[in-house]
Amino acid sequence: MRSPIAIADCHGHLGVHPDFPAYKASPEEMIAVMDHLNIEILAITSTLACYNDCPRGNAEVDPVLRQYPERFLGYITVNPNPPGQGVAELQKWSHFHSPPLIKMHPGLHKYPVHGKHYLPIWEYAHATDAVVLVHTWDSDPNCGPLLFPAIARAHPHARILLGHSGVTWRGYMQAIEAAESADNLYLDLSGSQNHRLILEHCVERLGAERILFGSDLPFLEAAMTIGRVLTARISDTAKEQILRNNFLRLVKKI
Amino acid sequence: MPESLFTEAADWNLFDVNVRVGSSGIHGELALDTNGLLSEMDRFFIRRALVSHWESEEYDAALGNEALARDLDPRMTPAWSVLPDSQFVAALALRKPVAVRITPGTTQHNFSLAAWPSGEMFDYLQQHGVITLITVSDIGWPGLTMLLERFPRLPVVLLETGYRADRHLLPLLERFPLLHFDSATYLAHRQLEAFVESHGAEQLLFGTRLPLFTPAASLGVLASSRISDAARLAIAGGNLQRLLASAHFGGAL
Repeated sequence: MRSPIAIADCHGHLGVHPDFPAYKASPEEMIAVMDHLNIEILAITSTLACYNDCPRGNAEVDPVLRQYPERFLGYITVNPNPPGQGVAELQKWSHFHSPPLIKMHPGLHKYPVHGKHYLPIWEYAHATDAVVLVHTWDSDPNCGPLLFPAIARAHPHARILLGHSGVTWRGYMQAIEAAESADNLYLDLSGSQNHRLILEHCVERLGAERILFGSDLPFLEAAMTIGRVLTARISDTAKEQILRNNFLRLVKKI
Repeated sequence: MPESLFTEAADWNLFDVNVRVGSSGIHGELALDTNGLLSEMDRFFIRRALVSHWESEEYDAALGNEALARDLDPRMTPAWSVLPDSQFVAALALRKPVAVRITPGTTQHNFSLAAWPSGEMFDYLQQHGVITLITVSDIGWPGLTMLLERFPRLPVVLLETGYRADRHLLPLLERFPLLHFDSATYLAHRQLEAFVESHGAEQLLFGTRLPLFTPAASLGVLASSRISDAARLAIAGGNLQRLLASAHFGGAL
């Protein structure tokens, strides 16, 4: 199975994870899989940064972007827990991409996305037209989708990707409801729960323009989400928007 | 209309080990009746399925089994509900079961899998080689280990292991050759491929979690894995066919 559409993937990682073995996760092994599935470009965030250490994690991304500039885009991952560190990291790694790509993981950093330590980062994102990928989960007090409309309205120039779209069926419903109320909220399809009919619901409620393909590679298997999109009962135009054009437009590659 | 993305799967004799049929009080719009289920299977070239009934899982085991018997199609192999009750097991034996799905959770049939209430039930299932489906969330890793130690010839199919399972799952698979698991949620990056490389294909069964999940996900993983044709066919359906052939088709207690 190979996607007939060259994919621009908004959600990827660099690194391993603590709770299960990582397989074929070096940049070269990832590129081999991307070639196999027809993923042209993947935006990566440091897994080390998501779990433990943002400065060291972001530093690991930098050489990979330099080595494979045509295959990877780099998120700058920020942690709100050492106050001030997030903006410093955004400034230090501002050469990763323009507009900036910012990753927040309020679930792993155990800090609410609307908390005051995140505020300077949201202000930075608004000021720079950044694309901000945020991990979300159904009803989570730190990153439930329904926390985002107020943030999005307060920072209208930030383009906010609801990572995993809340994951569960109910989480997806919350993500759709959130995106309906703020035009700068987007849905990311990465995730391990492959609900039947969910993509059709998303397109029916939001249109295809704010739905993005994400794989979570090399955490999750990209082929499952490719299969979900390509077999959904939506138009071919919508599939091409989701798999490629929407994200390329956000990062100003088209 | 079959999905053109997966036309190669038409030759794989796909046999889905993880399917439910009937109406659901929890999963409303996703539940499928028999015709709806067969139609969805056709879209993804799935020829046969091991099927349990939502009514068994969400309500009463005996009534659920009656509903399953009523809703069966020749392409569906029943995975009956079972309770640790000698009369229930005797009634089940009349159906000559080749597979059961156990749902012991507190909001379902609410029983312990320990020997004192369930030993007789597992004795019967092991004696007759009945394929025993259970989810990880229903049994837990310590519970599964105890069950396999007590009943090492029981063909257990562990469903919905999740992608974080390997540090629990792989040692158990090595220790208990009759333990199998399904692919519906075994979805980490290149995990299936890595499993086949390290452990072979024999203990992995194609599963979708229909009607809740789209078959496109687990089929996409299987179709895109860089494994041998023989391994792919084994996972697609060969392994489950082999297990079913080993079942003794029930019988008297």
